[in-house]
Amino acid sequence: MEVVNLKANSPKIIENHALQETLYRYTVHPGMDVYILPKTGYQKKYAIFSTKFGSIDNLFQVAPDPEVVRVPNGVAHFLEHKLFEDERGNVFDRFAALGASPNAYTSFTQTTYLFSCTSNFEENLELLLDFVQEPYFTEKSVQKEQGIIGQEIKMYEDHPHWRVFFNLLAGLYCEHPVRNDIAGTLESISQITPDLLYRCYRAFYHPSNMAVFVVGDVSPKTISRKVQENLSRHNYNPMSKIERYFPHEPPEICRQRTEQTLVVSEPIINLGFKDTMVDKLQGRQLLRREILMEMVLEVLFGTSEPLYNTLYQEGLIDDRFEAGYSAETSYGYSLIGGETRDPDQLYQRIMLAVEKLKKDGITSEQFERHRRKILGGYIMRFDSLEFIANNFLAYRFRGTDLFEVPVLLQEIKREELLDVIVQNLDPARHVVSLILPRTED
Amino acid sequence: MTTDYATHYLPNGIRLIFMPTPKFKTITMGLYIHQELNEKLAPLNALLSAVLEQGSRFYPDNLTLRRELENLYGADLSTDIIKSGERHMIACHLETVHGKYVGGNDKLLRSGMSILGSVMGDPLIEDNGFKKEYVDQEKDQLVKEIRSLVNDKGTYALEQCLRTMCSEERYGVYRLGCIENYDHINRESLYSYYRELLFNNPIDLYIIGELEEEQVLEAAREALAFKCSEKKLVLPAVEIDYPVQEVKSLEEEMVVNQAKLVLGFRTYTGFSDAEYCSLLVYSGVLGGFPHSKLFQQVREEAGLAYYIYSRLDGHKGLMVIAAGIDYSDYAKAIAIIDRQIEAMVAGKISTSEMENTKHALINLIRTQQDSPSQMIYSHLDGSIGGKTYTSLELIKGIEDVGLEEVKAVASRIKKDTIYLLRPRDGGSQPESQ
Repeated sequence: MEVVNLKANSPKIIENHALQETLYRYTVHPGMDVYILPKTGYQKKYAIFSTKFGSIDNLFQVAPDPEVVRVPNGVAHFLEHKLFEDERGNVFDRFAALGASPNAYTSFTQTTYLFSCTSNFEENLELLLDFVQEPYFTEKSVQKEQGIIGQEIKMYEDHPHWRVFFNLLAGLYCEHPVRNDIAGTLESISQITPDLLYRCYRAFYHPSNMAVFVVGDVSPKTISRKVQENLSRHNYNPMSKIERYFPHEPPEICRQRTEQTLVVSEPIINLGFKDTMVDKLQGRQLLRREILMEMVLEVLFGTSEPLYNTLYQEGLIDDRFEAGYSAETSYGYSLIGGETRDPDQLYQRIMLAVEKLKKDGITSEQFERHRRKILGGYIMRFDSLEFIANNFLAYRFRGTDLFEVPVLLQEIKREELLDVIVQNLDPARHVVSLILPRTED
Repeated sequence: MTTDYATHYLPNGIRLIFMPTPKFKTITMGLYIHQELNEKLAPLNALLSAVLEQGSRFYPDNLTLRRELENLYGADLSTDIIKSGERHMIACHLETVHGKYVGGNDKLLRSGMSILGSVMGDPLIEDNGFKKEYVDQEKDQLVKEIRSLVNDKGTYALEQCLRTMCSEERYGVYRLGCIENYDHINRESLYSYYRELLFNNPIDLYIIGELEEEQVLEAAREALAFKCSEKKLVLPAVEIDYPVQEVKSLEEEMVVNQAKLVLGFRTYTGFSDAEYCSLLVYSGVLGGFPHSKLFQQVREEAGLAYYIYSRLDGHKGLMVIAAGIDYSDYAKAIAIIDRQIEAMVAGKISTSEMENTKHALINLIRTQQDSPSQMIYSHLDGSIGGKTYTSLELIKGIEDVGLEEVKAVASRIKKDTIYLLRPRDGGSQPESQ
């Protein structure tokens, strides 16, 4: 057994001036980062344990095994469900006995296990670390879960806002797995076996592919030692390198327009622009682009700008109309959408506004006003322990730093925005997804 | 553990509840006008809350108002309409970052309060009425919102169950009222209703943040200086003893993939009753959490559902059980649910089910103190329910609940309505063009 020096571990202390918060980062054997953000005065303590394994990781190879493994869609999410069960029964009961509220979620790029509690924090943390590190999959339990996840998939099939979004992604992307539903399909999950789950587990659940974030009124030193002791009990070998393969994605879109009919009161539209630069950016550059795009979309579609107000007055949108940008290391897109009585009209108005902005540019008044808004909104979100932990690790897994937002927000220049608009909101790479009301009844 | 709060009355009778705490990065302000829930008033309340947000005398349109808010570091302002028991509230909520995070700006409380006061107390008036464009526009938006309820099948099913169950009671009125009742409202009648409401109805103002009491009082007095009656309207109490003659049943068909099952129950236990904590434990053991009977039996054992839960409206004394299932499993699911309810009546509850549920409930109560909006809602619950529980009292109350108390609550509960949203034929797949 490898000897682990428990004492040698001193944290990196990260002070954030804008937030007036101090973050402690420990790197524990065998290569996992543990982040702790003390928040005095909070009753709640919140911890997450995340692995960089999401729905898009369906083609991979782990050295020294030369085989490139392709797994059915929905495996990461299925695995998330199944970790909650082991030989002793279900994990919910054990958290419940300790007064904690556990949960988990799977995104395109990561799987996160979490709990919150107001007592027994250390025992709960131990339980979180243990259950995620102890897989137990049987034929019977996999079969039962196919029924449960089958219902989850059916629930989303009936959800128009979910459908319009995934139909949009399938239009934007020809090959990239982000075009597939996170939970997979009834057909794809029927192919999942215990063997397959173990295989994915061994590939992606090594601590060096994972991270822990704890936030609440806690002592960083005690917590980091707990995590280190826990991991050392599992005798890890160093991690082999994971190679994730993504099919070649052309810069072009896959399908310009997708329509689906569902029982809805009026049409729902999502309009997307494919970002073809994003996989060439890393770290700060990626975060910078995210901030620039947030600003661009604010200027175009924000509630304080003329377009939103005119569309609202004309009854073409409601106050749930939204615009956002999402960037990961292998894909990125802007999304604009909402419910509307006249999707064609709304579509034309949005496209016109985008072209108009390219000509008009952004005034310094707009730039400053939206910069203030983004800064204030950013700081306000740090009242939520869940926001802090979930987002910090999501940013970290894509190689960016959530804490750098205020500094970058000060750094960006108005002139940069125009380049990003031209590059990123390119009419040649846009897609429309529509949900239309069923007419026959 | 409970955040201390101070209650004051502004000169015009508005009740101010100030909760000082250094732990948030925000200043939160919430104004709540209390009204009774009924069919006639519901659309007036909903429309009023929407029209007020469109513009005030100082900020005559949404664009001007939103720009002002953005300059306050993106302060978040929204009006809302809340149904709680048989109470209906018009709410206005404003949250801004605390000045110490943006260069020591100490004007944010006052500026925020002034915007809130302007929106709620000093609206844009033309010819003794609200602006016609805003009234028409918001009527259209609300009608659209009421129709869009069907877009979320889970919420739709829940509302259909409650509507069927309480068709003879005020509680059966939807949060936004019904579409037909919007027709006769005009800009003058809405304005005169607004003036009456502001003058007669109880109004609560909440302010939470790292602030001095004196500055809070001053900002509130200055921003909310409108006149109110000295005698506040007393709103009717909620009725919780409506009898069940026979179990009602409603089935609807739609082109969906998943069936939605919602069961409505009457508990005959109210918020101010001594048995309230026992009811919380009852619903928690039955279906409030992942360790609860319904989740364990229907989902984990039988694999029939992804979601299944029970939930209370503590003010009205109602409980619903909701699940998304395959239609072919309908009978099976109902049978398992019924068995769990029978087990509750028979007191077949293990020690760990009891203890785990108490822990979970106490956890929820404690964490309310970590969110400004939850701090407001738990205090509002006290005003609506006519009984104030501190967190400690509620925790103690829950800890003291024994098996016999849960059985006693269980024996009173009656099933009232079964609602089922049933798939007609398969859902549709996307078509490309």
